[in-house]
Amino acid sequence: MIVFAAVLLALGGLLYALAVRARDLSPPEPVSPAGALREKQDAIYENLRDLQFEYRVGKLSDEDYQRSKLDLQKELTAVTAEIDGLGGAEAQPAAPQPAPPPSGLLCPKCGARFAQAMKFCGECGEPMSGGAA
Amino acid sequence: MENLGAVAVLIAFCLSLYALAASVLGGWKNRLFLVASAERAVYSLWLLLSVASSVLVYSLLAGDFRMAYVAAHSNRDMPALYKFAAWWGGQEGSLLLWSWMLAGYAALVVFTNRRRHRAMMPYVTAALMAPQAFFLMLNAFVASPFKVLAVGREITSVADGNGLNPLLQYWAMAIHPPTLYLGYVGFAVPFAFAAGALITREPSDAWLHTTRRWTLVTWLFQTIGIVLGAGWAYAVLGWGGYWAWDPVENASLLPWITATAFLHSVMMQEKKGMMKVWNVSLISITFWLCIFGTFLTRSGLVSSVHAFAQSQIGGWFAGFLAVLAAGIIYLILNRLDYLKSEARLESVISRESSFLFNNLILLASCFAVLWGTLFPLISEAVTGQKISVGVPFFNRVNIPIGLFLLFLTGVGPVFAWRRTSVASLKRNFAWPLAAGLVLAVALLAAGVRHFYALVCFGLCLFVTWIIAAEFYRGARAIRARTGQNLLAAAVELTHRNTRRYGGYTVHMGIVLMFIGFAGAAFNKHATAEVAIGDSFPLGRYELKVREIRQGATANYSWDHAVVDVSSGGRALAALEPERRLYIASGQNTSEVAIRRRLNEDVYLNFAGMTQDNSKAVIQAYVFPLVSWIWIGFCVLVGGTLVCLVPSKARVGQARPVAKGTAVEYSSVED
Repeated sequence: MIVFAAVLLALGGLLYALAVRARDLSPPEPVSPAGALREKQDAIYENLRDLQFEYRVGKLSDEDYQRSKLDLQKELTAVTAEIDGLGGAEAQPAAPQPAPPPSGLLCPKCGARFAQAMKFCGECGEPMSGGAA
Repeated sequence: MENLGAVAVLIAFCLSLYALAASVLGGWKNRLFLVASAERAVYSLWLLLSVASSVLVYSLLAGDFRMAYVAAHSNRDMPALYKFAAWWGGQEGSLLLWSWMLAGYAALVVFTNRRRHRAMMPYVTAALMAPQAFFLMLNAFVASPFKVLAVGREITSVADGNGLNPLLQYWAMAIHPPTLYLGYVGFAVPFAFAAGALITREPSDAWLHTTRRWTLVTWLFQTIGIVLGAGWAYAVLGWGGYWAWDPVENASLLPWITATAFLHSVMMQEKKGMMKVWNVSLISITFWLCIFGTFLTRSGLVSSVHAFAQSQIGGWFAGFLAVLAAGIIYLILNRLDYLKSEARLESVISRESSFLFNNLILLASCFAVLWGTLFPLISEAVTGQKISVGVPFFNRVNIPIGLFLLFLTGVGPVFAWRRTSVASLKRNFAWPLAAGLVLAVALLAAGVRHFYALVCFGLCLFVTWIIAAEFYRGARAIRARTGQNLLAAAVELTHRNTRRYGGYTVHMGIVLMFIGFAGAAFNKHATAEVAIGDSFPLGRYELKVREIRQGATANYSWDHAVVDVSSGGRALAALEPERRLYIASGQNTSEVAIRRRLNEDVYLNFAGMTQDNSKAVIQAYVFPLVSWIWIGFCVLVGGTLVCLVPSKARVGQARPVAKGTAVEYSSVED
């Protein structure tokens, strides 16, 4: 009985490992040359959000905030340019040119765009002519 | 039955070699069938080891005393829990547990990544299978738990076994080793991902996120394992402490320290693409130290209280450690171009530099602990004499290091990424620093004269203030926008960035633990020979031995002293420390009695009777603040669990679209 169980176990284990059919294979991951750059872009956005939050809660001086923000924006520009350089269609999926935003959606100072009308720019704090935040 | 276990281990060993070869070949030549086959071999291997482990556990529970392992580590009258715990109570069983856990982790990694990281997964599998093959080789050929007792060619059995080491017959001991092993073994996963990323020069950082979560889970297990071990030492060993800088305790601390360093420095890589060589080195060193710890525990190289797992398999481990170190060093040196930093340190006063400091200090601590642990070997090699450095050395070196780390715990959150101006620092530091100083001065005025304790209490308040301010400021900002009450806003804040605020909670746990550690400066101790009805003083307590009782269970005989504890004439408690004599092993153990309070513990150990049997020998201790260690530990575990919850911002956040430096959000954050 034990010998039979041992043989069954051995055969079962080996058979399962060796008998791979074509349909058992994992589908290949989509290749995206801009994937790593997008991750970098996301990381910079997250850093920008962090920076903004820390500024809002009073941990940063105006000068520190402006300098760090400028650095991050420069990095963002560089990464965005790199993504654009890899080819518009691949780099920017589903991005039809939006119509020019009404006032309150576009910051006159730093150029940040928002989906809702804002009283103040969520990026730089500049007063905007929009509605409630 | 034992044949089934042995066959399962043997086939598992063959499968581990196959999975190793097939995944490397499959990854190298891009043969998807081989890669898939290797992954299936990993699942099979786990199943086979589950069968083998079940056979061993069944034999232990059923008391199959034909098996050498069962006879050596179990006996009929042991409670079922300890019969089960005997699985890891000895060398062979605990090695099987190692293998089974590693196989479980490997199967989980393969399953959860079956559609992700496809390019690097073959090498991740291979990096997991290499240590797996090593451990299975030990299970199958060097330290098999399935050997039977035999006289000549005749299988024989014993009437009853020796029983599990009595010191291990304690509830925490049924959890401590497997939890610690989950930590030790788990560090193989981050290591495997790092190796896979290095080999394939993985351009994306996605593997790093996966690795970080694994490291966090593993780190949590390691922490729980270490603290449970400390709790066991405190409540069972009866020497009156929770940490003795024993080589095996140190062995579990070393990878914990390097993993802690990694969990901090990995943020630099995620945020700024910095410190890549450092991070990969930390992951690798952590895994290497895990194997090294196992080697220390089992080789008998340095003397330790963990003598129950000693044997002659040290040579195998030394060989594996050498191969592992060579492989890691070659891989890192060969991939230095891939590991080039993408950014540089912009200011000395920045979050980056505080992490850098934190890492350097943690590594210094790791080195000091390693040096002290190996000093007997080093001294023997140089002078021919084995000299142990002992507890004073470890305390002298690690207390200042620990306090500096505590200081950095407070400093880190105040520093901003990239740069922080002196004006910001002044604003953020002034109150916490003043509060810490005021507390230290007040304690000094109240008569506390211990320098490190004063510094520690001051720093604890300093860090607490900073952490509380972090929560308060963030919650206030959210309250201003949403109108929630402060508590709800704090919960919302934590949910938005679980990693940061969970991290702060972990820091708070560490602060509470440090309060407990600082209490050790005020410990009191007395050993007294007391006749029944007599009493003796200890600090503000009066301890009176009321009676001595005796009795027996099937597993052990016991006698315990009933000691009335009073203070200022007021009765506080009756403590009953016990002394046991285990029948199967003939070994004595102590069951200490502890009156736990937030301010201090009264801890009694009944060391037996005097020669003429007229007096009880009572070792009594007062341990101030020690409960805060366990409270801090619970907070730390809670904080780590919070870190593991996905952030709301990350989950709900719509993907922003970039146009030059202008940023467009499809949902606006508060």
